Amino acid sequence: MIKIKGINGNLVFVFGPGTCTEYLTYLSSHLAQNNALFAGSTVYFRGEGLKDLSHQEIAALQKLCLENGLILNNNEPEKTVSKTETAKSRHLPEPPAGQDVFIHRHIRSGQKVHADGCLVVWGDVNESAEITAGGDIIVLGKLAGIAHAGCFGRKDSVVFALNLAPSQIRIADKISRSSGDNVKNPVPEIAYLDEDAICISKYSVRKSIKNK
Amino acid sequence: MDKKLPESKVIVVTSGKGGVGKTTTVANVSSALARVGYKVAVLDLDIGLKKLDLLLGLENRVIYDIVQVIEGEIELKKAMVKDKRFPCLHMLPAAQTRNKADITPEQVKDVCEQLRPDYDFIFIDCPAGIEQGFQNAIAAADQAIVVTNPEISAVRDADRIIGMLLSAQFDDDDIGLVVNRLRPEMVKDGNMLSIDDLVEHLSIDLLGVIPEDKNVVISTNKGEPIILNEKSAAAAALNNIAMRISGKEVEIPTFQEESVLQKLKTFGRKFFSTM
Repeated sequence: MIKIKGINGNLVFVFGPGTCTEYLTYLSSHLAQNNALFAGSTVYFRGEGLKDLSHQEIAALQKLCLENGLILNNNEPEKTVSKTETAKSRHLPEPPAGQDVFIHRHIRSGQKVHADGCLVVWGDVNESAEITAGGDIIVLGKLAGIAHAGCFGRKDSVVFALNLAPSQIRIADKISRSSGDNVKNPVPEIAYLDEDAICISKYSVRKSIKNK
Repeated sequence: MDKKLPESKVIVVTSGKGGVGKTTTVANVSSALARVGYKVAVLDLDIGLKKLDLLLGLENRVIYDIVQVIEGEIELKKAMVKDKRFPCLHMLPAAQTRNKADITPEQVKDVCEQLRPDYDFIFIDCPAGIEQGFQNAIAAADQAIVVTNPEISAVRDADRIIGMLLSAQFDDDDIGLVVNRLRPEMVKDGNMLSIDDLVEHLSIDLLGVIPEDKNVVISTNKGEPIILNEKSAAAAALNNIAMRISGKEVEIPTFQEESVLQKLKTFGRKFFSTM
Protein backbone atom coordinates (compact mmCIF):
# COMPACT_ATOMS: atom_id res chain seq x y z
CA MET A 1 0.00 0.00 0.00
CA ILE A 2 2.60 2.54 1.09
CA LYS A 3 6.28 1.71 0.68
CA ILE A 4 8.57 3.57 3.01
CA LYS A 5 12.02 4.11 1.53
CA GLY A 6 15.10 5.95 2.61
CA ILE A 7 16.73 7.93 -0.18
CA ASN A 8 19.70 10.27 0.42
CA GLY A 9 18.91 10.45 4.11
CA ASN A 10 15.29 11.37 3.38
CA LEU A 11 12.15 9.34 3.86
CA VAL A 12 10.07 8.71 0.78
CA PHE A 13 6.50 7.42 1.07
CA VAL A 14 5.53 5.75 -2.17
CA PHE A 15 1.75 5.52 -2.37
CA GLY A 16 0.45 2.42 -4.12
CA PRO A 17 -3.20 1.77 -4.90
CA GLY A 18 -5.52 2.28 -1.92
CA THR A 19 -7.95 4.64 -0.25
CA CYS A 20 -7.27 7.55 2.06
CA THR A 21 -8.59 5.75 5.17
CA GLU A 22 -6.34 2.79 4.41
CA TYR A 23 -3.33 5.08 4.05
CA LEU A 24 -4.20 6.88 7.27
CA THR A 25 -4.55 3.72 9.37
CA TYR A 26 -1.43 2.22 7.82
CA LEU A 27 0.66 5.34 8.42
CA SER A 28 -0.59 6.02 11.92
CA SER A 29 0.13 2.45 13.05
CA HIS A 30 3.61 2.54 11.49
CA LEU A 31 4.46 5.96 12.84
CA ALA A 32 3.20 5.03 16.30
CA GLN A 33 5.35 1.87 16.41
CA ASN A 34 8.58 3.50 15.35
CA ASN A 35 8.08 7.03 16.50
CA ALA A 36 11.68 7.58 17.55
CA LEU A 37 12.91 6.34 14.18
CA PHE A 38 10.71 8.64 12.10
CA ALA A 39 10.70 11.82 14.18
CA GLY A 40 12.79 14.62 12.74
CA SER A 41 13.31 13.20 9.26
CA THR A 42 12.27 14.89 6.06
CA VAL A 43 9.54 13.15 4.15
CA TYR A 44 8.46 13.20 0.51
CA PHE A 45 5.16 11.93 -0.90
CA ARG A 46 5.31 10.10 -4.18
CA GLY A 47 3.53 7.41 -6.15
CA GLU A 48 0.53 6.81 -8.34
CA GLY A 49 -1.86 6.49 -5.39
CA LEU A 50 -1.57 10.24 -4.71
CA LYS A 51 -3.37 11.11 -7.94
CA ASP A 52 -6.68 9.73 -6.70
CA LEU A 53 -6.59 11.69 -3.45
CA SER A 54 -8.28 15.03 -2.92
CA HIS A 55 -6.43 18.00 -1.44
CA GLN A 56 -8.16 17.52 1.90
CA GLU A 57 -7.06 13.91 2.01
CA ILE A 58 -3.46 14.82 1.20
CA ALA A 59 -3.62 17.56 3.81
CA ALA A 60 -4.88 15.00 6.36
CA LEU A 61 -1.95 12.71 5.55
CA GLN A 62 0.49 15.61 5.81
CA LYS A 63 -1.03 16.60 9.13
CA LEU A 64 -0.58 13.08 10.45
CA CYS A 65 3.10 13.22 9.48
CA LEU A 66 3.56 16.59 11.14
CA GLU A 67 1.92 15.35 14.33
CA ASN A 68 4.44 12.53 14.45
CA GLY A 69 7.38 14.90 14.22
CA LEU A 70 8.17 14.46 10.53
CA ILE A 71 9.24 17.39 8.37
CA LEU A 72 7.32 17.84 5.15
CA ASN A 73 9.06 18.61 1.91
CA ASN A 74 7.34 18.84 -1.42
CA ASN A 75 10.57 18.94 -3.38
CA GLU A 76 11.66 15.74 -4.99
CA PRO A 77 15.01 14.32 -4.00
CA GLU A 78 16.53 15.26 -7.34
CA LYS A 79 19.44 12.90 -7.88
CA THR A 80 17.43 9.74 -7.70
CA VAL A 81 14.50 10.71 -9.87
CA SER A 82 14.64 10.98 -13.62
CA LYS A 83 13.63 14.22 -15.28
CA THR A 84 10.37 13.06 -16.81
CA GLU A 85 9.26 11.61 -13.52
CA THR A 86 9.96 14.90 -11.74
CA ALA A 87 7.86 16.84 -14.19
CA LYS A 88 4.99 14.44 -13.77
CA SER A 89 4.91 14.18 -10.00
CA ARG A 90 5.81 17.78 -9.25
CA HIS A 91 2.34 19.01 -10.14
CA LEU A 92 -0.35 17.75 -7.86
CA PRO A 93 -3.66 17.09 -9.59
CA GLU A 94 -5.34 20.23 -10.93
CA PRO A 95 -8.17 21.31 -8.60
CA PRO A 96 -11.62 21.20 -10.16
CA ALA A 97 -13.07 24.58 -11.13
CA GLY A 98 -15.93 24.25 -8.61
CA GLN A 99 -13.51 24.81 -5.74
CA ASP A 100 -12.63 28.32 -6.86
CA VAL A 101 -13.83 31.05 -4.52
CA PHE A 102 -14.89 34.59 -5.41
CA ILE A 103 -15.17 37.17 -2.66
CA HIS A 104 -16.85 40.53 -3.08
CA ARG A 105 -15.77 42.33 0.08
CA HIS A 106 -12.70 43.46 1.96
CA ILE A 107 -10.85 40.93 4.03
CA ARG A 108 -10.00 42.66 7.25
CA SER A 109 -7.43 42.24 9.97
CA GLY A 110 -7.87 38.91 11.78
CA GLN A 111 -10.03 37.31 9.08
CA LYS A 112 -9.00 34.14 7.28
CA VAL A 113 -10.19 32.95 3.89
CA HIS A 114 -9.33 29.67 2.23
CA ALA A 115 -10.12 28.28 -1.21
CA ASP A 116 -9.30 24.77 -2.38
CA GLY A 117 -9.01 26.05 -5.92
CA CYS A 118 -8.20 29.60 -6.94
CA LEU A 119 -9.18 32.62 -4.88
CA VAL A 120 -10.34 35.91 -6.38
CA VAL A 121 -10.92 38.86 -4.05
CA TRP A 122 -12.80 41.90 -5.33
CA GLY A 123 -11.56 44.17 -2.57
CA ASP A 124 -8.61 44.77 -0.31
CA VAL A 125 -6.84 42.27 1.90
CA ASN A 126 -5.82 44.34 4.89
CA GLU A 127 -2.84 43.95 7.21
CA SER A 128 -2.87 40.78 9.37
CA ALA A 129 -5.56 39.14 7.26
CA GLU A 130 -4.72 35.71 5.84
CA ILE A 131 -5.73 34.22 2.52
CA THR A 132 -4.78 30.76 1.32
CA ALA A 133 -5.58 28.91 -1.88
CA GLY A 134 -4.73 25.60 -3.47
CA GLY A 135 -4.24 27.43 -6.74
CA ASP A 136 -3.69 31.05 -7.72
CA ILE A 137 -4.60 34.10 -5.66
CA ILE A 138 -5.90 37.17 -7.45
CA VAL A 139 -6.61 40.34 -5.51
CA LEU A 140 -8.38 43.15 -7.35
CA GLY A 141 -7.37 45.71 -4.77
CA LYS A 142 -4.58 46.11 -2.28
CA LEU A 143 -2.97 42.99 -0.84
CA ALA A 144 -1.40 43.97 2.47
CA GLY A 145 -1.92 40.80 4.52
CA ILE A 146 -0.49 37.31 4.20
CA ALA A 147 -1.13 35.35 1.00
CA HIS A 148 -0.37 31.65 0.48
CA ALA A 149 -0.88 30.37 -3.05
CA GLY A 150 -0.48 26.73 -3.93
CA CYS A 151 -0.85 25.75 -0.29
CA PHE A 152 -1.12 22.05 -1.21
CA GLY A 153 2.17 22.17 -3.02
CA ARG A 154 1.44 23.44 -6.54
CA LYS A 155 4.57 25.29 -7.51
CA ASP A 156 3.11 26.92 -10.62
CA SER A 157 0.66 28.96 -8.50
CA VAL A 158 0.91 32.73 -8.66
CA VAL A 159 -0.22 35.69 -6.56
CA PHE A 160 -1.53 38.70 -8.43
CA ALA A 161 -2.70 42.02 -6.99
CA LEU A 162 -3.43 45.48 -8.32
CA ASN A 163 -1.36 46.73 -5.40
CA LEU A 164 0.94 43.98 -4.20
CA ALA A 165 2.18 45.02 -0.76
CA PRO A 166 1.86 41.88 1.37
CA SER A 167 3.59 41.39 4.69
CA GLN A 168 4.33 37.85 3.52
CA ILE A 169 3.90 35.86 0.35
CA ARG A 170 4.01 32.08 0.38
CA ILE A 171 3.95 29.98 -2.76
CA ALA A 172 3.90 26.21 -2.22
CA ASP A 173 6.53 25.71 0.50
CA LYS A 174 8.50 28.92 -0.10
CA ILE A 175 8.13 32.04 2.01
CA SER A 176 9.14 35.58 1.22
CA ARG A 177 8.54 38.68 3.27
CA SER A 178 8.04 42.28 2.27
CA SER A 179 10.99 44.67 2.05
CA GLY A 180 8.91 47.18 3.97
CA ASP A 181 9.29 49.83 1.30
CA ASN A 182 6.16 51.75 0.52
CA VAL A 183 5.64 52.31 -3.18
CA LYS A 184 4.00 55.63 -4.04
CA ASN A 185 2.21 54.76 -7.26
CA PRO A 186 1.59 51.04 -7.22
CA VAL A 187 1.22 49.05 -10.45
CA PRO A 188 -0.29 45.58 -10.82
CA GLU A 189 2.31 42.97 -9.93
CA ILE A 190 2.56 39.21 -9.99
CA ALA A 191 4.51 36.89 -7.71
CA TYR A 192 5.63 33.47 -8.95
CA LEU A 193 8.18 30.77 -8.24
CA ASP A 194 11.30 30.73 -10.36
CA GLU A 195 13.89 28.09 -9.51
CA ASP A 196 12.49 27.79 -5.98
CA ALA A 197 12.70 31.51 -5.27
CA ILE A 198 9.70 33.82 -5.09
CA CYS A 199 10.00 36.50 -7.76
CA ILE A 200 7.84 39.57 -8.19
CA SER A 201 7.52 41.42 -11.45
CA LYS A 202 5.32 43.99 -13.09
CA TYR A 203 2.31 42.28 -14.60
CA SER A 204 2.45 41.98 -18.35
CA VAL A 205 -0.12 40.08 -20.37
CA ARG A 206 2.40 38.65 -22.83
CA LYS A 207 4.70 37.25 -20.22
CA SER A 208 1.95 35.64 -18.17
CA ILE A 209 0.51 33.84 -21.21
CA LYS A 210 3.95 32.58 -22.19
CA ASN A 211 4.64 31.21 -18.72
CA LYS A 212 1.44 29.21 -18.45
CA MET B 1 -40.94 64.85 28.28
CA ASP B 2 -41.92 62.36 25.58
CA LYS B 3 -39.72 60.71 23.05
CA LYS B 4 -39.53 62.27 19.61
CA LEU B 5 -38.86 59.43 17.25
CA PRO B 6 -41.23 56.52 16.60
CA GLU B 7 -38.34 54.05 16.29
CA SER B 8 -35.56 54.12 18.83
CA LYS B 9 -31.97 53.47 17.83
CA VAL B 10 -29.49 51.44 19.83
CA ILE B 11 -25.98 52.56 18.95
CA VAL B 12 -22.81 50.93 20.23
CA VAL B 13 -19.60 52.96 20.37
CA THR B 14 -16.59 50.72 20.03
CA SER B 15 -12.94 50.74 18.94
CA GLY B 16 -10.93 47.66 19.82
CA LYS B 17 -8.00 49.66 21.13
CA GLY B 18 -8.34 51.42 24.46
CA GLY B 19 -7.91 55.12 25.07
CA VAL B 20 -9.05 56.34 21.66
CA GLY B 21 -12.03 58.27 23.01
CA LYS B 22 -15.03 55.95 23.13
CA THR B 23 -16.34 57.15 26.45
CA THR B 24 -15.68 60.81 25.60
CA THR B 25 -17.63 60.36 22.38
CA VAL B 26 -20.54 58.64 24.15
CA ALA B 27 -20.71 61.25 26.92
CA ASN B 28 -20.64 64.22 24.56
CA VAL B 29 -22.74 62.95 21.67
CA SER B 30 -25.45 61.78 24.07
CA SER B 31 -25.35 65.13 25.92
CA ALA B 32 -25.59 67.01 22.62
CA LEU B 33 -28.64 64.99 21.57
CA ALA B 34 -30.26 65.42 24.97
CA ARG B 35 -29.63 69.17 24.77
CA VAL B 36 -31.82 69.45 21.67
CA GLY B 37 -34.58 67.47 23.33
CA TYR B 38 -34.11 63.84 22.33
CA LYS B 39 -34.60 61.30 25.07
CA VAL B 40 -31.26 59.55 25.45
CA ALA B 41 -30.12 56.60 27.55
CA VAL B 42 -26.47 55.71 27.97
CA LEU B 43 -25.36 52.27 29.10
CA ASP B 44 -21.88 51.80 30.50
CA LEU B 45 -20.85 48.22 29.74
CA ASP B 46 -17.22 48.63 30.77
CA ILE B 47 -17.94 46.63 33.89
CA GLY B 48 -15.04 46.72 36.33
CA LEU B 49 -13.47 49.78 34.70
CA LYS B 50 -16.30 52.27 34.60
CA LYS B 51 -15.60 55.83 33.46
CA LEU B 52 -18.78 57.16 31.87
CA ASP B 53 -20.20 58.36 35.18
CA LEU B 54 -16.97 60.28 35.78
CA LEU B 55 -17.08 62.03 32.42
CA LEU B 56 -20.69 63.03 32.92
CA GLY B 57 -19.93 64.20 36.46
CA LEU B 58 -22.48 61.79 37.92
CA GLU B 59 -20.18 59.62 39.98
CA ASN B 60 -21.65 60.45 43.36
CA ARG B 61 -25.24 60.02 42.18
CA VAL B 62 -24.73 56.38 41.29
CA ILE B 63 -26.65 54.07 43.61
CA TYR B 64 -27.44 50.95 41.61
CA ASP B 65 -25.68 49.40 38.63
CA ILE B 66 -26.42 47.29 35.55
CA VAL B 67 -25.43 43.99 37.16
CA GLN B 68 -27.91 44.58 39.97
CA VAL B 69 -30.59 45.29 37.37
CA ILE B 70 -29.77 42.13 35.45
CA GLU B 71 -29.71 40.02 38.58
CA GLY B 72 -33.16 41.37 39.45
CA GLU B 73 -32.13 43.18 42.62
CA ILE B 74 -33.54 46.48 41.44
CA GLU B 75 -35.96 47.75 38.80
CA LEU B 76 -34.37 49.15 35.65
CA LYS B 77 -36.13 52.52 35.97
CA LYS B 78 -34.87 53.00 39.51
CA ALA B 79 -31.29 52.30 38.50
CA MET B 80 -31.21 54.93 35.74
CA VAL B 81 -29.32 58.02 36.91
CA LYS B 82 -30.71 61.37 35.71
CA ASP B 83 -28.18 63.83 34.34
CA LYS B 84 -27.83 67.04 36.32
CA ARG B 85 -27.75 69.33 33.27
CA PHE B 86 -29.99 67.69 30.69
CA PRO B 87 -33.24 66.21 31.99
CA CYS B 88 -33.57 64.04 28.85
CA LEU B 89 -30.30 62.20 29.51
CA HIS B 90 -30.28 59.09 31.69
CA MET B 91 -27.38 56.78 32.48
CA LEU B 92 -27.26 53.16 33.51
CA PRO B 93 -23.94 52.80 35.37
CA ALA B 94 -21.58 49.85 35.22
CA ALA B 95 -20.61 47.90 38.31
CA GLN B 96 -17.06 48.56 39.41
CA THR B 97 -16.71 45.55 41.68
CA ARG B 98 -17.88 42.93 39.17
CA ASN B 99 -16.51 41.78 35.84
CA LYS B 100 -17.58 41.48 32.25
CA ALA B 101 -18.36 37.77 32.41
CA ASP B 102 -21.12 38.41 34.97
CA ILE B 103 -23.58 39.37 32.23
CA THR B 104 -24.50 37.82 28.87
CA PRO B 105 -25.42 39.30 25.47
CA GLU B 106 -29.02 38.11 25.92
CA GLN B 107 -29.35 40.01 29.20
CA VAL B 108 -28.06 43.22 27.56
CA LYS B 109 -30.56 42.74 24.71
CA ASP B 110 -33.30 42.37 27.27
CA VAL B 111 -32.32 45.61 29.03
CA CYS B 112 -32.27 47.48 25.70
CA GLU B 113 -35.70 46.14 24.75
CA GLN B 114 -37.05 47.46 28.04
CA LEU B 115 -35.51 50.87 27.34
CA ARG B 116 -36.66 51.21 23.72
CA PRO B 117 -40.22 52.46 24.42
CA ASP B 118 -38.94 55.36 26.53
CA TYR B 119 -35.91 56.61 24.62
CA ASP B 120 -35.04 57.91 21.14
CA PHE B 121 -31.39 56.94 21.37
CA ILE B 122 -29.72 54.31 23.48
CA PHE B 123 -25.92 54.55 23.47
CA ILE B 124 -23.78 51.66 24.62
CA ASP B 125 -20.26 52.41 25.80
CA CYS B 126 -18.25 49.35 24.77
CA PRO B 127 -15.13 48.25 26.65
CA ALA B 128 -11.82 47.92 24.79
CA GLY B 129 -10.93 44.47 23.49
CA ILE B 130 -12.78 41.80 21.54
CA GLU B 131 -13.75 39.45 24.36
CA GLN B 132 -16.95 38.92 26.31
CA GLY B 133 -17.39 42.62 27.08
CA PHE B 134 -17.36 43.46 23.38
CA GLN B 135 -19.80 40.67 22.57
CA ASN B 136 -22.14 41.90 25.31
CA ALA B 137 -21.99 45.46 24.01
CA ILE B 138 -22.69 44.78 20.34
CA ALA B 139 -25.44 42.20 20.85
CA ALA B 140 -28.32 44.62 21.21
CA ALA B 141 -27.19 47.39 18.86
CA ASP B 142 -28.75 48.43 15.53
CA GLN B 143 -25.84 50.61 14.53
CA ALA B 144 -22.21 50.97 15.48
CA ILE B 145 -19.79 53.85 15.71
CA VAL B 146 -16.14 52.86 15.42
CA VAL B 147 -13.82 55.39 17.04
CA THR B 148 -10.20 55.45 15.96
CA ASN B 149 -7.13 57.65 16.15
CA PRO B 150 -5.01 58.48 13.13
CA GLU B 151 -2.23 56.07 14.10
CA ILE B 152 -1.55 52.59 12.75
CA SER B 153 -2.15 50.67 15.99
CA ALA B 154 -5.62 52.14 16.44
CA VAL B 155 -6.44 51.71 12.75
CA ARG B 156 -5.39 48.05 12.80
CA ASP B 157 -7.70 47.41 15.74
CA ALA B 158 -10.52 49.35 14.08
CA ASP B 159 -10.12 47.18 10.99
CA ARG B 160 -10.39 44.05 13.13
CA ILE B 161 -13.45 45.42 14.91
CA ILE B 162 -15.17 46.34 11.63
CA GLY B 163 -14.53 42.81 10.40
CA MET B 164 -16.12 41.41 13.56
CA LEU B 165 -19.09 43.80 13.33
CA LEU B 166 -19.69 42.81 9.71
CA SER B 167 -19.69 39.15 10.60
CA ALA B 168 -22.18 39.91 13.41
CA GLN B 169 -25.54 41.55 12.63
CA PHE B 170 -24.21 44.78 11.07
CA ASP B 171 -24.14 45.88 7.43
CA ASP B 172 -21.72 48.35 5.86
CA ASP B 173 -24.32 51.12 6.19
CA ASP B 174 -24.80 50.49 9.91
CA ILE B 175 -21.23 51.38 10.77
CA GLY B 176 -19.89 54.93 11.02
CA LEU B 177 -16.30 55.97 11.52
CA VAL B 178 -15.23 58.69 13.94
CA VAL B 179 -11.64 59.83 13.74
CA ASN B 180 -10.56 61.32 17.04
CA ARG B 181 -7.51 63.39 18.03
CA LEU B 182 -6.60 64.48 14.52
CA ARG B 183 -3.76 66.99 14.31
CA PRO B 184 -4.19 68.82 11.00
CA GLU B 185 -0.72 70.37 11.11
CA MET B 186 0.88 66.91 11.42
CA VAL B 187 -1.21 65.56 8.55
CA LYS B 188 -0.12 68.52 6.43
CA ASP B 189 3.53 67.71 7.09
CA GLY B 190 2.92 64.06 6.21
CA ASN B 191 3.57 62.83 9.77
CA MET B 192 0.08 61.56 10.46
CA LEU B 193 -2.39 59.43 8.52
CA SER B 194 -4.84 61.64 6.65
CA ILE B 195 -8.61 61.27 6.69
CA ASP B 196 -8.47 60.15 3.07
CA ASP B 197 -6.01 57.38 3.91
CA LEU B 198 -8.13 56.22 6.82
CA VAL B 199 -11.42 56.15 4.95
CA GLU B 200 -9.78 54.45 1.99
CA HIS B 201 -8.19 51.80 4.22
CA LEU B 202 -11.18 51.06 6.42
CA SER B 203 -13.70 51.68 3.63
CA ILE B 204 -16.68 52.59 5.80
CA ASP B 205 -18.56 55.88 5.84
CA LEU B 206 -17.12 58.76 7.79
CA LEU B 207 -19.36 60.11 10.55
CA GLY B 208 -17.10 62.75 12.00
CA VAL B 209 -13.62 64.06 12.64
CA ILE B 210 -12.60 65.41 16.05
CA PRO B 211 -9.42 67.47 16.26
CA GLU B 212 -6.94 67.17 19.11
CA ASP B 213 -7.98 69.69 21.75
CA LYS B 214 -6.56 70.18 25.23
CA ASN B 215 -9.91 71.49 26.43
CA VAL B 216 -11.15 67.89 26.32
CA VAL B 217 -8.78 66.92 29.12
CA ILE B 218 -9.82 69.94 31.17
CA SER B 219 -13.54 69.18 30.76
CA THR B 220 -13.03 65.50 31.48
CA ASN B 221 -11.26 66.28 34.73
CA LYS B 222 -14.11 68.55 35.74
CA GLY B 223 -16.74 65.99 34.82
CA GLU B 224 -18.38 68.31 32.33
CA PRO B 225 -19.19 67.47 28.73
CA ILE B 226 -16.90 69.39 26.37
CA ILE B 227 -19.87 70.35 24.19
CA LEU B 228 -20.76 73.02 26.77
CA ASN B 229 -17.57 74.88 25.83
CA GLU B 230 -18.60 77.02 22.85
CA LYS B 231 -15.04 77.93 21.91
CA SER B 232 -13.64 74.42 21.60
CA ALA B 233 -13.05 72.90 18.16
CA ALA B 234 -13.59 69.40 19.52
CA ALA B 235 -16.95 70.50 20.95
CA ALA B 236 -18.07 71.72 17.53
CA ALA B 237 -17.01 68.43 15.96
CA LEU B 238 -18.85 66.35 18.58
CA ASN B 239 -21.97 68.46 18.16
CA ASN B 240 -21.68 67.94 14.43
CA ILE B 241 -21.57 64.15 14.95
CA ALA B 242 -24.65 64.31 17.17
CA MET B 243 -26.55 66.29 14.51
CA ARG B 244 -25.64 63.76 11.85
CA ILE B 245 -26.85 60.93 14.06
CA SER B 246 -30.14 62.75 14.53
CA GLY B 247 -30.54 62.71 10.75
CA LYS B 248 -29.58 66.31 9.94
CA GLU B 249 -27.47 66.78 6.86
CA VAL B 250 -24.49 68.69 8.12
CA GLU B 251 -21.08 68.93 6.52
CA ILE B 252 -18.20 67.20 8.24
CA PRO B 253 -15.46 69.69 9.04
CA THR B 254 -12.30 67.74 8.24
CA PHE B 255 -9.73 70.42 9.05
CA GLN B 256 -8.15 69.89 5.68
CA GLU B 257 -8.01 71.52 2.28
CA GLU B 258 -11.12 72.24 0.25
CA SER B 259 -10.86 69.40 -2.26
CA VAL B 260 -10.82 66.74 0.43
CA LEU B 261 -13.82 68.29 2.10
CA GLN B 262 -15.80 68.12 -1.08
CA LYS B 263 -15.13 64.44 -1.40
CA LEU B 264 -16.09 63.74 2.19
CA LYS B 265 -19.39 65.50 1.92
CA THR B 266 -20.70 62.78 -0.26
CA PHE B 267 -19.19 60.07 1.93
CA GLY B 268 -20.95 60.68 5.19
CA ARG B 269 -24.34 61.58 3.80
CA LYS B 270 -25.42 58.01 3.37
CA PHE B 271 -24.90 57.18 7.01
CA PHE B 272 -27.99 57.59 9.16
CA SER B 273 -29.77 59.22 6.23
CA THR B 274 -32.44 56.55 6.47
CA MET B 275 -33.48 57.68 9.92
